[in-house]
Formats: sequence, structure tokens, C-alpha cells
Amino acid sequence: MTNLPLWLIPLFPLVATILLGTIAVVSSGGKKGAAEGIVGALAVLFPAMSFAVVAILAYGMPEAGIRETLCNWIDIPLFKADIGFMFDGLSRIMLLFVTGIGTLITMYSIGYMHGDRGFARFFAYINLFLFSMIVLVLSDNLLLTFLGWEGVGLCSYLLIGFWNKDVNNCKAANKAFIVNRVGDIGFLLGMLCLVTVGGSGILNYDALTSFIQMIMTAGHVEIVLPVLSLTGLLFFIGCTGKSAQIPLLTWLPDAMAGPTPVSALIHAATMVTSGVYLLARLGSMFAILPVVLDIITVIGMLTAFWAAMAGLFQNDIKKVLAYSTISQLGYMFMAAGVCAFDASIFHVFTHAFFKAALFLGAGAVIHALAGEQDMRKMGGLVKKTPVTACVMIFAFFAIIGFPGFAGFWSKDLILERLFMSGPMGPAFYVIGLFTAVITAVYMGRLIILTFFGEYRGSKESEEHIHEAPACMLLPMVILAFGAIFAGYLWADSIGITFFRDSLAPVVGSAQAYAATMHSAAHVNPMIFAGLGTLAALLGMFIAYKVYGNARVPAAKGSSAPEGRKATWTFFFDYVHKYCGIIPVQVLAWICDVVVDKILQATQWTLGAIATILGDGATVIQVRKVRLQVAFSVAGVAALVLVVLLTGGLI
Amino acid sequence: MELQPIYIQILALAIFALGLMTAISRRNLFFVLMGVELALNAVNLSFIGFSKTLPADMSVTGQIVPLFSIAVAAAEACVGFAMVILLFRKKESVDSDNYSNMKG
Repeated sequence: MTNLPLWLIPLFPLVATILLGTIAVVSSGGKKGAAEGIVGALAVLFPAMSFAVVAILAYGMPEAGIRETLCNWIDIPLFKADIGFMFDGLSRIMLLFVTGIGTLITMYSIGYMHGDRGFARFFAYINLFLFSMIVLVLSDNLLLTFLGWEGVGLCSYLLIGFWNKDVNNCKAANKAFIVNRVGDIGFLLGMLCLVTVGGSGILNYDALTSFIQMIMTAGHVEIVLPVLSLTGLLFFIGCTGKSAQIPLLTWLPDAMAGPTPVSALIHAATMVTSGVYLLARLGSMFAILPVVLDIITVIGMLTAFWAAMAGLFQNDIKKVLAYSTISQLGYMFMAAGVCAFDASIFHVFTHAFFKAALFLGAGAVIHALAGEQDMRKMGGLVKKTPVTACVMIFAFFAIIGFPGFAGFWSKDLILERLFMSGPMGPAFYVIGLFTAVITAVYMGRLIILTFFGEYRGSKESEEHIHEAPACMLLPMVILAFGAIFAGYLWADSIGITFFRDSLAPVVGSAQAYAATMHSAAHVNPMIFAGLGTLAALLGMFIAYKVYGNARVPAAKGSSAPEGRKATWTFFFDYVHKYCGIIPVQVLAWICDVVVDKILQATQWTLGAIATILGDGATVIQVRKVRLQVAFSVAGVAALVLVVLLTGGLI
Repeated sequence: MELQPIYIQILALAIFALGLMTAISRRNLFFVLMGVELALNAVNLSFIGFSKTLPADMSVTGQIVPLFSIAVAAAEACVGFAMVILLFRKKESVDSDNYSNMKG
């Protein structure tokens, strides 16, 4: 069974997209949408089949992975690219959780989107997203990855603006799309740089790895280092766009305008981690670029810290989770920055579970409260929605790194690698640990405000609170189990290294090279585990002390933070405004005045002069045909005369 | 004394000028057409005159082209007269100054 073709994996969601898209278009004219049962069944079945294919392939995958070239894509002189797929340790893990969690969240969406007019359209988008994401992680060259990269960006845009009746949603969608474009330019230019270094063949990941190995053994690293550093930096800009790192992170909180399953699938579990995936995939290249790695670490660290602080200030339950996602992505980038690609992918993996569970839980809460997202109007929901509360609390333990839960293993691993990453390591470690404390505080705040205390909403809305339907609860419970147990795939302290071993063929050599650059002092891993646990407990304690009994200020109008909190939260929006938007607007104004106004005025003047002259000339055009002939004969005669006198052409 | 080619050209020029002046100055369409024919034939004459200046074996070209042009002129006259007749039916006039429908 292991000889299943790889193209089956992206084929299933593609077929589902076409089917559901057709259904959506056909039923768009009717008063009611298409039958939800059929649409939902189709939408879940196809991703599930693709998950099954991935599972079968993953089970019997040879150590070196499977490579398959489907067909030739671009074949012109100087540039060749194939549509080829690569199924190795890295893409296996990514695909397993992309298709697996994708299937679960699709199932959840059936309940969440129940009764929505765009039911079929929603699932067509979701399946298109899964197709793009699979192409992104399965492709064996950068160009095809870029296709998927753009595809997920498009689907993100479509799904953020899914409820397009509200202009704010459309604005959020546009923002996400445009900010991502800035990053995508980095990706494109990065590919261009690579092509200038090693030709178009180098866009293939295997070729890139062997190219890097070649220049390393030949000792030519210094020669290509400037160009490669630039390449790495450009790719990193691409990653900051997709993975919402400083400075391109402002779109992710706004992206919460989309339906909650979308936030869970795209903006927490899968799409935003594609930047981390790309870093790991190009690990062999990044490993020899110390400057770029340092930048990645620092950016990751700043992002993690900034977003964690911003998470403290949010009142919207989804916004808290959005900033928490940014913060966790910052951890992953920190890990990638110290060449711990396996640890960062491991965190991607565990994060996918617990963050998806948190988002789905938040979705269930919002569903129960009929669309209320402001945490100041929640409270005491643990009695009304016990299953949701349990799921979210388990996921909460996972994200703060409570011992035994998934986040504990992965976050500790990252912090440990940070500590051992050279002279600056301890400083990174301390900030990482401090961020972990803040994480526990704001997540504790979310849990306390939502599930404990008294219900703060209106009386009549309290009666309508209900637990979500089974098709929403089942995926949540499964993900909660993932949030508890996913960490045991790589539990360093108890000697399980399955996850690392499965990634070793892909990123092992890069990490081994990086490890030779600095000799790390050996510290007992138990100390890290102990400190991590302490951070989680301290954070929980602070959260309990501060928010446990405090009176929550009554909700006024908007759920957006105010005052100094708003300054912190929207800091990068201001940065974008003054560094990006206003210069562009000035440029646009200049273009408008110079091109549109002055140039057009000149055009009109010249045109008017020509018209006036023409009007004068029409006076000569009289009624008599004979006179016209006489004029033309006279003209010919004059021409001939001139030619004769000047002796041919002047 | 043999006929000098220059005299033939002068004659052709005179006939051409006459034809052109007729075409321009007469208002009756039949006369305009006649003037055009005259001008055409003046050009034919000019061809013959120039062919005379060439050696015998090459001069044949200059004598053949007028034959073609006479044939074309005959066809043109046919079409021209047909058009004039149709125009006359339409306008009840052969005065070229009446035909100014196309003026903008």
C-alpha cells in the first residue's frame, strides 16, 4: 500500500473544492442554500481521505523520503521547474497535522456554520485552503511552494472576509492580503537571489542542500556568504509576513474577523506556521548564515514578548488567542534562530493541537453566547458548557507549559536550546522564560474571565446559553487529547526522541553544523523543566491573584483596548502608518498631481491647440468638388516643385 | 529630320493640361470624365514618347504599358458612365457641384 502516488494527497481537496464550488455557484440563485448534509459530508470526506493517504504513506515511508516528479511545469532556456512532490520527515509531520486537524476543523465548522447562507462557499474555500497548504508543504521546490504560499494567502483573504456584508471584515481581509504581499515580495526576491547564485535548479530543496554541502566542503562559504545572507534575509521577510512576526504582524489580530474555525485552522494551526516550515526546510542554508540567524532569534524574541504583553490587554476572546498565536510563533522563530529546527517544528506540531483546541473552544463559547466575543460579558460558563470548559482548560495547561502537557515538552525544549545557543543564550533564555510567565498570566485571565466567577451578560441572554452540538464537541475533545498527549512524541526528560529521529534526515545535518559553531555547557535538563514549571505556576498564581476576585470593569461599547494599552497593542499599526502607509500616500499624491493633473493639463492644452488649428483648416474645405481637385493638383505640383528645387529628399 | 522626343513630351504635356483643366473647370460630369480620359491619353502618349528614346529591343515595354492603360481606361469609363447615369437618376442633375452630400 505504500506505493500510493503522492499527488493523491492534494487531489482530494482539489476535487472537493471543484464540487463544492459548483454546488455553491449553482445554489447561489435559490432562496435557500444547498443541502447542508451533502455539503458537509463532501467537505469532511475529502480531507479525511487525504488524511488517510497521508497516514498510509507516513506509516511506510522509507528513511530518505519519497520523491515524485509529476510533470514539467516551466521549461524555457535558463529556467526549468518541475511540479514535483517530496514526502520526507518534515513534510510528513506537517501533512499529518494539516490534513488531520483540517479534517477535524472542517467537521467542527459544520456545526459552527450551520444555517449560514454561504455554507457551501465556506467549505469550498476551506478545501481550497487545504489543497494550497498541502501543495506548500509537499512540493519539492521553492517555486511550487510559492504557489501554495500564495494559495493559502488567497484563501486566508477569502475566509477573513467571508462575511463580506460587514465592511470591517473586508478591510481586515484586505489588510491581511496586502501585508502578506509585502512578505511575498521577500519570498520572490529570495528565490531570485538563489537563482543568481546557483541557477534555477537550485530552487529544488535537494539540490539546494547538496549545493550548500558542496560549497561547505570546498571552503567557498565566504564567497557566497553576502548573497546568501541577503537571500536568507529576504526569505525571512517572507516568513515574517506569513507567520506574523515583527514587523509584518498587524494583520493577524485583524484576521480574527473571519469565522472562528478559520481562525483555528488558518490563523493558528496551519497557515501561519508555514513560515516556520520554510525556515526548517531551508535549514541547511540558514545554518551557515550566522547574521541572519541572530536577526531571526532577536525578532522572534521581541515578537514573543510584545505579543504576550499585548495579549494581556485584550478583551476580545479571539484577540487574546490571536496575540497568543503571534507570541508562540515568536517562540518557534527563536528556536529556528538558534538552529533548533526540530524543536521549532515540534512546537509547531504541539501548538497546532492546543491552539486549535483553544480556538475551537472559543468558537463554542461564542456560539453559545450567540456571537458575543467580549470576555467582560462572559463568566461562569464552566457550569453551562462543561465540555468546552474542560477542553479549553486542558489546552490552557498545554499552552502555559504545565508539566505533562504538550506545550511543556516543546516549550522547554526551545528554552533549553536557547540557553545552550552560545554566549547570548542565557539572556534569550531569561526573556523566553519571562514571556512564558506572561503567557500563563494572560491565558489564565482568559480562562478566569470566561469560565469562572459570575455571568456578567444580560439576564435574557443567560437562558440561551447552550453546549455546542456533538459535531463541534467531538473535534474539540480529540484536539484536547492531542493537547495533552502530543508532547510525548518527544519527551526528552523521559527519553522519548521519536519526533527528533523522524526529523533528523531533513534537518539533522544543518543542526549538527550549527552545533559545531559553539560548544555548549551541559546543564541538567531537569533544571530547565523545573524552571519552566515554575514559570507556569507563577503565571497562574499571578493570574489568579489579579483576576480571580477582581471586579471586572463593565463592558463599554467596543472591545478594543484603550489608552496606554491601545498604544502598546497598536504600536506596529502606527509604525506601519508612518513608515509604510503615509510615504506611499505621499507618493500617490505626487503621482496624482504630476501624472494625472499636470501631464493631463498639458495634454489637454495641446489637444485644444490642435482642435483650434483644425477648425481653422476646415474653412478651406468648401462644397465644390472641383475646387478640392484643383487644390490637390496644386499641392502635388508644389511638392514636385520643392523636390525638383531641393534635389530629392532633404 | 526625325521627330524629336521632346516635342512629343511637350504635346503630351499640353494635352494633359487641357484634360486636367477640363476636369477641374467644367461642372458637367460628362465633360469631367472626358477631361480625365484626355489626361490619361496624354500620359500614354508620354510613355510612347519616352520609349522612343530607348534602343529598339527595350522600347517595347514603353509601348505595351499604354495598351494596358487603354484597356483599364475603357473599363474605368464604363464604370464611370454607369455611375454618372445612376447619379443622374438620383439627383436629376449632372452638375458636379450638386454632389456634396459627403461634406461634413
